[in-house]
Amino acid sequence: MTLEQWLPVFALMISLAASLVIFALPETGYVRRTSVNLGAAVLKLVVVIVMVWGVFHGVNYGVSFTMLPGVTFVLRADALSMMFAGLSAVLWLLTTIYAVGYLEDSPNRRRFFGFFSLCVASTMGIALAGNLFTFFLFYEMLTLSTYPLVVHRGTEKALRAGRTYLIYTLTGGAVLLFAIAWLHSLAGDLSFRDGGHFVDADPDIHRSLILIFILLVAGLGVKAALFPLHGWLPQAMVAPAPVSALLHAVAVVKAGAFGIVRVVYDVYGVEASSALGLLAPLSWLAAFTILYASTRALWQVDLKRRLAFSTISQVSYIILGIALAGPLAAVGGLVHLLHQGIMKITLFFCAGNYAETLGIHRIDEMDGAGQRMPGTSVAFTIGAFGMIGAPPLAGFITKWVMGSGALAVNMDWVILVLVGSSLLNAAYFLPIVHRLWFREVKGAWPEERHWGRLETSPWLFWPPLLTAVVTVVIGVLASLPFSPLSWAELIVLREYAP
Amino acid sequence: MMVAEPGLAVLAVCLPLLYPVMALRANWHRAMCFALPLLPLPAFFLAVSSDSGWQLELPWLLNGGLWAMDDLRRLFLLLTAVLWTVAGVYAVGYLALPHMRRFCVCWGLTLAGNLGLTMAVDIGSFYSFFALMTFAGYGLIVHEGTKEAHYAGRVYMAMAVLGEMSILAGLLLAASAADSQLLTDLPTALARAPQRDLIVALLIAGFGVKAGLPLLHFWLPLAHPVAPTPASAVLSGAMIKAGLLGWLVTLPFGEVALSGWGASMVIAGAVGAIGAAILGVLQHRPKAVLAYSSISQMGLMVLMLGAALADPERAPVLFSVIGLYALHHGLAKGSLFLSAGVSLPAGRMGQVVTWILIALPGLSLAGLPFTSGALAKLAMKAGLAEDSLDFALAGYLPPLMTAGAIATLLLVLRYLWTLSAKLETGHNPPMLLAGWLAAVTASLIAFWWMPWDVAGLVKAPVWLPASYQVWALVWPMLISLALAGLALLVNQKRSSARS
Repeated sequence: MTLEQWLPVFALMISLAASLVIFALPETGYVRRTSVNLGAAVLKLVVVIVMVWGVFHGVNYGVSFTMLPGVTFVLRADALSMMFAGLSAVLWLLTTIYAVGYLEDSPNRRRFFGFFSLCVASTMGIALAGNLFTFFLFYEMLTLSTYPLVVHRGTEKALRAGRTYLIYTLTGGAVLLFAIAWLHSLAGDLSFRDGGHFVDADPDIHRSLILIFILLVAGLGVKAALFPLHGWLPQAMVAPAPVSALLHAVAVVKAGAFGIVRVVYDVYGVEASSALGLLAPLSWLAAFTILYASTRALWQVDLKRRLAFSTISQVSYIILGIALAGPLAAVGGLVHLLHQGIMKITLFFCAGNYAETLGIHRIDEMDGAGQRMPGTSVAFTIGAFGMIGAPPLAGFITKWVMGSGALAVNMDWVILVLVGSSLLNAAYFLPIVHRLWFREVKGAWPEERHWGRLETSPWLFWPPLLTAVVTVVIGVLASLPFSPLSWAELIVLREYAP
Repeated sequence: MMVAEPGLAVLAVCLPLLYPVMALRANWHRAMCFALPLLPLPAFFLAVSSDSGWQLELPWLLNGGLWAMDDLRRLFLLLTAVLWTVAGVYAVGYLALPHMRRFCVCWGLTLAGNLGLTMAVDIGSFYSFFALMTFAGYGLIVHEGTKEAHYAGRVYMAMAVLGEMSILAGLLLAASAADSQLLTDLPTALARAPQRDLIVALLIAGFGVKAGLPLLHFWLPLAHPVAPTPASAVLSGAMIKAGLLGWLVTLPFGEVALSGWGASMVIAGAVGAIGAAILGVLQHRPKAVLAYSSISQMGLMVLMLGAALADPERAPVLFSVIGLYALHHGLAKGSLFLSAGVSLPAGRMGQVVTWILIALPGLSLAGLPFTSGALAKLAMKAGLAEDSLDFALAGYLPPLMTAGAIATLLLVLRYLWTLSAKLETGHNPPMLLAGWLAAVTASLIAFWWMPWDVAGLVKAPVWLPASYQVWALVWPMLISLALAGLALLVNQKRSSARS
């Protein structure tokens, strides 16, 4: 076996091994645990960068084993994998740094970081899975490894949220498994392939294909928080901030969205999905989710809950972009996979900073927080404007490309959705920005802590600032090679001209 | 010079963008405040020293960036740079704690947007700079933190976001019709686009929010009076012109005769020019009067814009006149706004000089001979001469212009009147005084120093208008004076009846 074959396995194993080592270390081994965590995260980032470079130059990374006759376990890296893997690797490093600061002195850190690494290993597996079966294995592993993180606090509220989370995701998983099994019986073991497998499918199986597609999307839609399957997400925000950050930015919701992209692109193929009439309804559902969740966000008074509804809305952009079935719109959707991740993690980091430093949870407590915590508030402001889609930030690139793409395939109504969503985003983010900078402090903060020179702990201070800078840079320099936009263009180029 | 100009352009935009970074150091706010006048200097040199025609390609920027300069853009760049410089000088004397740091950051961001949009030729950069200016401008408006300021800020933001969305939709449709990311390709493509009317409507409405088009103007009279005085000056002098520039670079001028849109714009302009004057003379606060005066003046520019939309042959000439008028109005209105914050000296002589200096830019707006206003007004008259236009409403334009001229002077008089009730004797901070004097000087002198011949309409510099032209300029002024005198008389009668 060559290095090319083993790199994907290696990338996956790093997080997995980190998880096992952390479980083996004692609870008090703070320094060793942190070193293992950070070391593994950096190592994985390096491996992923090497693979990104390789995939760009056309190297085929991959390995497969036959598990049972007809069922294979496939790990391989294509451009789409690397987009998700890259996001996961970068954000794992940042979130680990953040989580170390966030959980300082709190109990059960071994359990937390162990499952945290396991969760990241699952996202890596999801990214690199080469067929639906492998994808499903890691998809379920993700469910099980995130549950302990959601209920980490152990409060009654957290346990209730965890229960809801499990009910939703396990049901979704069961539906997904059923759909995959059905598809397997119909067409055999299908590895992911640019252009899909069903371009000239037998008309006799069309009906089954349509039903399977609906089941697949329903199963994946739970994690992607598609309406009406989104109910678990606002509850799950009781989890500690780094967990919410990872859940919303890369791990869970993105896994769902990524799965839908895989099904449309690499199992069915855009052409076939479109010919079967599956994409138009999907685009309507995504558009509705975008507007519905944004509207719900308006009424939320809890900061993290408002951010949660915002996630539901933003993740559907990805699905909308794919469902429009045009290359440019697809670029807009795919690029949002990264853009939304970076912007949303910034916002959740900031929400965590306000909670940890000042004890702020509700939006009406945020008056004047910009003076006390300027760095965090700058990051929040950038993230919020990015979400609104204000140029030249990352969110604008998404909107512009997707809007142009929609017009290119004569779906002019999408412009209304984009504009409506931007207006709603402005309506729920701008008041927060206003409170941060232009209101006077009301009195004492709910629970203030001090860290000396910086406004908060350095572990908490730098990650959101860094992701905020990235939000600006990937927007302003969108046309650089290896920018998210350029990478999304590469993926689409390979999908549409396999 | 081909290397230096793009470099200067990048510097012009990046220098003010340093402010948010500098603000990270808590104790730098005094230095930031003192450096405010320096921020627009690279842009000023760029506008004054270099020729038009350079361009700068930034292929990695957004969807591919292109910045360039032509005569029209240079005019707007000059106006923007001059106005922000004098307002910056003024701000050094005007500003006081608290929140100086926040103000300086918003100032830098707004300035960067305002300068950048005059140079941007690709849609992405232009829209980015425009939005940067819009959003950061909020910080300037609500700076004082009063209830009124917050209300004005809320209205501003709501309308600005709607405007931005209208622009976004319009630009998206236009770029898709043109299959290009450059503003320069839009007019030609728009002229032929099947969705032309929708796109034109979106762009007119979107930029109209900034330019104070009637019914989209509500934020203006709220925001201008509550903003700190140097901010009002740049809002009304420079930022309002960004909306105008937006129209000029996107709409299909000179490509196709849009008589319907032309007529609508002429009507909107007339309503703005006269309606704002009627509302303006009823105001009691000097800066509110000036805000309505800006809407009224923009109305006159919209009038010309409408004529240019309707008559493609005439559009190039009208473009020059609009640019000229914008420059003239920007400088004069900037000076007027800055004068709202000065104090009168104690001596009789000093007071007279101060009042003359306060009044001169106002009279220039009204077309006083030997001022930029006279040139602008004459150019407008020549540009809109009935027999030169191929346009159904052309016959209505001369009386409308006359009505506009009367409205202009009435508003200026109303401003002076309300200001006289408010101005106090006292000491002016030296920088504040310097900023204001520089603004007045720029308005009165700098204009004549620019070597422009406005498309042969008016021989520049016209040191002495011909006698028939003097009469053309003066008679609307006499009517305004008579009206103002009448109002004064009625007012006196009423107050004596009350006592």
